[in-house]
Amino acid sequence: MITVTLTVNGQEETHSIEARETLADFLRERCNLTGTHLGCEHGACGACTVTINGLPARSCLTLAVMCEDRAVQTVEGTRGDPEMDLIRKHFHEAHGLQCGYCTPGMLLAARDILRRHKAPGEATIRKELSGHLCRCTGYVGIVEAIRRAGAELSDKS
Amino acid sequence: METTGDSWIGARVLRKEDERHLLGAGQFVGDVRMPGLRDIAFVRSPMAHAKLKGVTKPEGHEASVFTYEDLGPMKVLRTSPDMPTFHSAHYPALATDRVRFAGQPIAMCLASNRARAEDIADLVQVDLEELPAVVDVVDAMKPGTIKLHEDWPDNAYIHNTIDAGDMEAVAKIAAIKVKRRFKMNRQPSVSLECHAVLAYWDFRTGQLVVYFSTQGPHVMRIGIAEALGLQEYQVRVIAPDVGGGFGGKNRLMPEELAVAALAYKLKTPVRWLEDRREHLIASPHARDHYYELTAYADKDGMLLGVDGDVYVDAGAYPMWPTAAFMETSMSARNLPGPYQARNLRARTFTVATNKAPMGPYRGVGRPGACFAIERLMDEIAHELGIEPVELRRRNLVSSFPYETIGGMKLDTGDYHASLNAAADLIDLPAIRARQAKGELDGRRIGLGFAMYTEQSGHGTGEWVKRRGRIIPGYETATTRMGADGTVELLVGIQSHGQGMETTFAQIAAHELGLDPSKINVRHGDTSISPFGFGTFGSRSIVMGGGAAARSSRTLGEKLKKIGAHLLQCAAEETHLKDGQVHGPNGSVSIAEVARAANVRPDLLPQGIDPVLDVTMTYEPKESAGVFSYSTHGALIAVDPDTGAVELLDYVVAEDCGTMINPLVCDGQVQGGVAQGIGTALYEEIPFDDQGQPLATTFADYLMPGSMEIPNIRLAHIVTPALATEYGVKGMGEGGAIAPPAAIANALTDAFKDIRASFDETPLTPRRVIRALDAAKARVQTGEKP
Ligand code: FES
Ligand code: FES
Repeated sequence: MITVTLTVNGQEETHSIEARETLADFLRERCNLTGTHLGCEHGACGACTVTINGLPARSCLTLAVMCEDRAVQTVEGTRGDPEMDLIRKHFHEAHGLQCGYCTPGMLLAARDILRRHKAPGEATIRKELSGHLCRCTGYVGIVEAIRRAGAELSDKS
Repeated sequence: METTGDSWIGARVLRKEDERHLLGAGQFVGDVRMPGLRDIAFVRSPMAHAKLKGVTKPEGHEASVFTYEDLGPMKVLRTSPDMPTFHSAHYPALATDRVRFAGQPIAMCLASNRARAEDIADLVQVDLEELPAVVDVVDAMKPGTIKLHEDWPDNAYIHNTIDAGDMEAVAKIAAIKVKRRFKMNRQPSVSLECHAVLAYWDFRTGQLVVYFSTQGPHVMRIGIAEALGLQEYQVRVIAPDVGGGFGGKNRLMPEELAVAALAYKLKTPVRWLEDRREHLIASPHARDHYYELTAYADKDGMLLGVDGDVYVDAGAYPMWPTAAFMETSMSARNLPGPYQARNLRARTFTVATNKAPMGPYRGVGRPGACFAIERLMDEIAHELGIEPVELRRRNLVSSFPYETIGGMKLDTGDYHASLNAAADLIDLPAIRARQAKGELDGRRIGLGFAMYTEQSGHGTGEWVKRRGRIIPGYETATTRMGADGTVELLVGIQSHGQGMETTFAQIAAHELGLDPSKINVRHGDTSISPFGFGTFGSRSIVMGGGAAARSSRTLGEKLKKIGAHLLQCAAEETHLKDGQVHGPNGSVSIAEVARAANVRPDLLPQGIDPVLDVTMTYEPKESAGVFSYSTHGALIAVDPDTGAVELLDYVVAEDCGTMINPLVCDGQVQGGVAQGIGTALYEEIPFDDQGQPLATTFADYLMPGSMEIPNIRLAHIVTPALATEYGVKGMGEGGAIAPPAAIANALTDAFKDIRASFDETPLTPRRVIRALDAAKARVQTGEKP
C-alpha cells in the first residue's frame, strides 16, 4: 500500500492505496466523486475524462499514484464555473444528452475543444470529439451544443 | 418554455432530467454508496461448450467463492412461451454441470474491491471437458450435429412456417425473380453504462433491496422474488439512473440473479458492475439473422410475394422473462414491409448455438426484416432498370387501415408523403446528376433508401397471440396532488434517456392546466410507483403516457368538482387552465382546491372524498398496435479500391403520429439511426469455429463515433393515431431499423453497373471488396446476379 496525496477539485485527498489503483477508482470509490463515469476502462470511450493539471486525461488509464501532488478536476469541480455553466446551458438547449452517462466526459472534452478552437465549426468539433463515445444521441445534439457554446464564447471575448 | 397554442402537447420543452447529469450528479447503480459494500467478480467459462466437472476454490479463499450450490435452493424460472412446440432450458444463475458459451458465469468471488475479487477469481480452478461447439446457425440444424440441450429433438427452440397466399402460383407467373442470402451479424446492445446490480438486506423493512440497472424494475422484482422463494413484498427493486438500455437491460441475467441471491444469503451489501469485456461476451446479444429469400415481382415491379427461410441464432439459453422466440416471427411477419404484396411464405428457425443468449435490441426482428425486404426491393428495381424510389411508390400501401400479408394491421399514415419527403430532403435529382458526372477523387457515390413500419403500443390481444407468460398489455400511473397543488406522477414505465420525466410531465400538465414545473415524474422504484411492465417495444408513450393522461384527467375532474363547489357553479361549467379552475363568474387556484382536498375537508362538497390521488391503468382501444413508419435515405461515398465507406448525408422522413415533445422525438430518431449505422458498417462480434468471441474490447468491437455519424437530418409527417391518447405512436426503436438496409442499398446503387450485391452487415471494407470481387467475377463469366 502506498500513501498518496492528490489535489482534487481544490482539496487535498490523502489515501493509502494499492499501486495498481486507477485514478478513476480513486476518485469514485475513495473521494466519492461519482460524476466521473466508466464506460470501458480501457481508454476507448472518454466517459472517465477528468483534467490533470488542466489537461484532459482518461482517469481509467491513469494510476492514482502517478498523480501525486497534481491537481485533478472532475465534473463536480466545474459546478458554478461560468465557462462550464455556459457549455451546460447549450447541452441542455441542444438536447446534447439522453441517458447522461457520457455527459461528464463530453462536458470536459467540450471545454478543452473550445479552449483550443475559437468558435469551431461542425467538422472540427466532430474530429475533436472522435475519442468520446455516446450511445444515445447520435452526437447531433452534442456537436450542436459545442458549436453554439463556441459561438457564444467567441462573441463574449 | 415554448408552447404551441395553450397546450403542452407538442411543446419543445427542455428536459427536466438534464440538470443532474450536467452537474455530474446523476445516480447510477455504481454511484450508490453503502457501508461495507463488497464487489463481485465472476469466474467465467473459457470454453464455448464443455462438461463442468468441478470447481476448486483456492486455499484460504473458500469463504469468498460461491458456486450454484452455495447460493441456496433457487426456483427455476419458466422462460418459454406457453406453447408445446417451444423447447426451453434452464439458464442457471451459475453453471451447474455444463457450460454452453464462452463467458458463461460459473462461480462468483467476493472481496473488498473488484480488483481483489478478480485476483481470487484468477485462482479458482475449473475442471472442464470440452465438447464440440455449435457455431453456425444453419449447421446447427443439420442432422447429426451435437445438441446443446439433450432433451430437445434438435437445436431449434422452435420452428414454424408462415404460408399466406399462394406462393406456388406466384412462382409460376412472376416475371421477375430475385434470390438472395442476407446476413446481419451478432452484436450486443452496448449501453454506455454496462449492466449493474447492487443488493442488500434491509433489516428495517424486511426487504431485499436491489439497485438494478434495468428497464423494468417491477417485472424484475417478480423474477427475483420467485427465484429466491421470497414474498414479492420482500423484494424492492430500484432502477436509479440507467445509462442506456436499448433492450439489453430488459432481461434478467444470471449474474443479476446471483448477486441478489448472495446478498440474501449473506445479508451484507454486494454489487456487480459488469465491465466492458463482460458486456461484449456475455450480456444479451442481438441480431444474428440469416435469410435465404426469393422475391417475386411482375413486369411493372409490383411485388407479388416473398418466399424463403429465416434463421435467428438465439444463443445458448432462453432469457427470462421472454425468450427470443418472438424474434423470428416478428421478422417473418415484417418481411412484406409497407408494401401490398399478397403472398408470404417463410420457414422460420430459432436456433440454439454455443454463443451468448439473445435478448432484445432496439428494433428486435425488424432491422433484419427491413434489411431483407428493402434490399430485395432495390434488386427488383435494378432488374427492371427503374429508380428504386419509383418502385417503392408503385408498391406502397396507400389506403388505411390495411392488413399486410404478414398480419400487420397498419392503422394510419401517408407512406408516399414520407418517401417523397425523404427523396426531397436528400435531393434525389441533384445526386443522380452528381453521379452522372463522377467524382474527382475516384470514389463512387451511392444513394439508398429504406422504409419500415414499427408496431408499437400493442395490447393484450396481440401479446396473448404471442403466448408470452407475461402479457404487457397495459400500463399504470398514479397522479397525486399535494396540499400546495403540485403533483407527483408515479409511473410503472422506466425512463433511461427517453426524457419521460419531461414528456409525462407535459401530459399531466396538459390535463391539469398546470405548468410542467409543477409536476414531478417518479419511476423506477417498486416501492414508489404502481406496477408496470417497464420501457421496451416502443410502448411507453402509448401505454404509460395513456395511463398518465387517464389518471391526470380523472384527477382533473375531481378538481373541477371541488372548484365548482367553491365557485358556486356546476362542474360542467368549469375548466382547468394556468393553474386555476375557471368558472363562468370567476376562478379559484388549483392550489386552493388542493388545500381543501388534502387538509381542509370542511370545505369539500358533500359526497366528495378528501385526498387527490388517482391510479389508473390504460390499454389502447386497438390491441393490434399503432404503426409509426419512416423513409431513410443514405448518401455514401465508397472507395472501390479499399472498400471504405463514408456517409455524406443521412435523412429520415418519419411519422410517429402526434409528438408530445418534438425535441425528444428528434433525439430518439437520431440516436436510433446512429445505432443502425453501427449495425450497418461497424459493430460485430465474430466467433471462431470453436465458438470463441473475437471482439472483447472497443479496440476490436468498433463503435461509431462522431466522425462516423453524419448530421442526421429529419422531416416530420404527422398522422395522428386513432386508437391512442392524443394520437401518439411509439417511436423509440424506429431509427435503428432502416440504416443497414439504406446503406447497403446505397452501396448497391454505387455499383449497379456491375450489379454488386451487398448482403451482409456490418459492411466492413473487407466485405465490400469481397462483394465487388464476386460481382466482377460474375461479369466475366456472364453469370446473372
Ligand atoms: S472508461 Fe476511460 S475511456 Fe472509457
Ligand atoms: S447520453 Fe447516453 S451515452 Fe451519451
